[in-house]
Amino acid sequence: MQGARRTARPGRQRLGWWLVAPTLVLLVGFNVFPLLYNVVLSFTNAELTGGERRSLGGANYGRVFRDPVFAGALRRTALFVASVVSAELILGLVLALALVKRFPGKHVVLTLLLIPMMLSPAVMGLFWGLILNGNYGILNQALGAAGLSQPQWLTDRDLKFWSIVLIDVWMWTPFMMLIALAGLGAIPPSIYEAAQIDRAGPWRVFWRITLPMTAPVLGLAVLFRATDALKQFDLVMATTGPNDASTQTLSTLLYQVVFRDGKVGLGSAFACTVLVVVMALATVFTRYIDRMQKTEAAA
Amino acid sequence: MNKLQSTWISTLLLTSLLSCGEKAPAPDAVGTDSKSGAKSAAKTPASQSPSPAAVPAPAGKQSITVWWFQWAPADGLAELGREFEAETQIAVKVEQIPLSSYQEKVFLEFGGSKTSFDVVIGDSQWIGRGASKGLYLELTQWLPTVVDLASIHPRAARYLCEYPEGSGKWFAAPCETDAVGMAYRKDWFEDAAEKAAFQKKYGRELRVPDTWEEFLQVATFFQRPADKRFGCAIPSDRAYDGLTMGFQNVLWAFGGTWHAENSNKVVGHLDTQGTIDAVEFYRQIVNLGPRGAERLDYGQVLEAFTNGSTAMLLNYFAFFPGIHKQFGNKVGFAVVPAHKGKRVASLGGQGFSISTKVPASQQELAKKFIAWFLQRKVQEKWITKPAGFTANAQILASPEFRALTPYNGPFADSIDSMRDFWNVPCFNELLSVTQRYVGMAVDGELPAREALQLLAEEKERILAEAGLL
Repeated sequence: MQGARRTARPGRQRLGWWLVAPTLVLLVGFNVFPLLYNVVLSFTNAELTGGERRSLGGANYGRVFRDPVFAGALRRTALFVASVVSAELILGLVLALALVKRFPGKHVVLTLLLIPMMLSPAVMGLFWGLILNGNYGILNQALGAAGLSQPQWLTDRDLKFWSIVLIDVWMWTPFMMLIALAGLGAIPPSIYEAAQIDRAGPWRVFWRITLPMTAPVLGLAVLFRATDALKQFDLVMATTGPNDASTQTLSTLLYQVVFRDGKVGLGSAFACTVLVVVMALATVFTRYIDRMQKTEAAA
Repeated sequence: MNKLQSTWISTLLLTSLLSCGEKAPAPDAVGTDSKSGAKSAAKTPASQSPSPAAVPAPAGKQSITVWWFQWAPADGLAELGREFEAETQIAVKVEQIPLSSYQEKVFLEFGGSKTSFDVVIGDSQWIGRGASKGLYLELTQWLPTVVDLASIHPRAARYLCEYPEGSGKWFAAPCETDAVGMAYRKDWFEDAAEKAAFQKKYGRELRVPDTWEEFLQVATFFQRPADKRFGCAIPSDRAYDGLTMGFQNVLWAFGGTWHAENSNKVVGHLDTQGTIDAVEFYRQIVNLGPRGAERLDYGQVLEAFTNGSTAMLLNYFAFFPGIHKQFGNKVGFAVVPAHKGKRVASLGGQGFSISTKVPASQQELAKKFIAWFLQRKVQEKWITKPAGFTANAQILASPEFRALTPYNGPFADSIDSMRDFWNVPCFNELLSVTQRYVGMAVDGELPAREALQLLAEEKERILAEAGLL
């Protein structure tokens, strides 16, 4: 019997390969090949309208590192990620703490809170564009009716970036809340009971039990949100457009360079640089989370 | 059983791969429809792809596909296309693409081995790229055989059809000629109380502004946000070319320029006092619009005017039929204002260009349609369509054309003074930086002089990289 199993194993292995082959082909076709092709393009003068393509060596990369527009977009994206992720983390955790206990209508409240997250960012961007419109937007109409000043949310150079941050926080705080709720739900009640016996106060319980025990899950949520916020595109496109000096993120800069300027080679160099930065950040972050989880397990 | 499974899966995969191969069309299997033709040829291996001339004429029902952006003139062209079909049995499909994504869709098509359109009505600025990158079929030899080139207005020829400008090399035939003009609320201008108030405030009669200074004064007069009444709505959007096309009317009138008269040198020409004054002035009038007026695209400019809140608007004449339809006699039309006697209108409009990436048979059909369209009798029909602005100089100069609509007269008066932005192959990069830096100056993020110096340096870098400096 054992021998029969052993002889069947190479056949089963082959079958396994055949079964994963379509997925592998798709992965190579849609992920690996485009990535490698992008690297090749980044060393050329490729244009959107095609035409003769020649090698430029590292000229596109030289341009990337010299270009103040790229540096500006990088700084803006970093500020965007830091702002939205920290705001969403704090608000999401606060909401989760408020919703962790059972109360009548909890499911309705949860469902309502989750709605923004389930909507398309592009559609939400367009809606918020209407809401925040300085002239006929409902927000300014309401502010005007209340006798308050009516800021130009999407055109004032000091406000427009923060308006997009506000929309993103509105959309994605429920995601943080959901993850935080899952983390809070996983803490064994016995730990809280023990803390109660030891007469630990709520503040101490939060800092010593709740936060450390939800930290790995929250860390993952931060990683997800940070990588997602790094790609911010839809909201900027729908509210201020890709070429606005105050709101241009890396993704919209890429769109501008490739699709508006038609510079595919340069855009590919931008994309490769961004990829390296994102991978480096993600690696550092995942290692940090890993270490945090190990420390938690050891404790 | 395992062997059987793996054999079955291998067979399945092999069959799938083989059947994919079988679906590849033969080079001569180009359909009668240009779109299906495009798809078929795209699957043909590059080494076997036929040259346009090698493709046999399609049999059966013939058709050509024309791409244009989504607006009223495209409807008029589609109507004329049906007349052409009735005469020749060649169907004309006019596909309308939203303006916001028109450029990238067309450029992506050109990036492939075939285009879905046979004819593209391309923005005037595209012609340098279309001509120099081999995307547009050269029409220099053919066009004079179907139309008297002298009948085409020289400004339309220079900016819409020839590359380099005025070189006599034609890469487009004129389709829609357009310029920026002004629409104003005639009923407000003629209102006795408004006239008296204006007279009292400025010591002169309230009339349609003939100069930019008068425009500023009238816009300031009507700017009453508390009453939801605003002075003017002008293009200021940064997404494509709105701000630049609006600004140019002031730029040239104030003695500014994009580059040297006879070269592409920018530094020392763009960053001069005339351009700085023009930016400062544009900044003032942008702020005399509805809230958020520093980001109005062409549609939003129209909306600001047609919602009844704004006294004056600057926009392309092609958008004026809708305004006239809505307001009737309550609205008037005029040429853009002048500054110290200098009046220049920003050019709009597009020409027909034939794609080099379609079979020769389709190119011939496209030529037939363009030749038909350029006939005088068809041009006389074209001007009866909403915003069907011809490039035929004789028709433009005729009293019949002026009498046809209230905006035709100002349009005919504008055409002699219209100018265009860069139309060199790297125009889109030049446009991007112009939108960015002029936008920063208009928004007050940078002083005008500094923004224009940076813009000039950036433009020279782009032009040098493109080998144009």
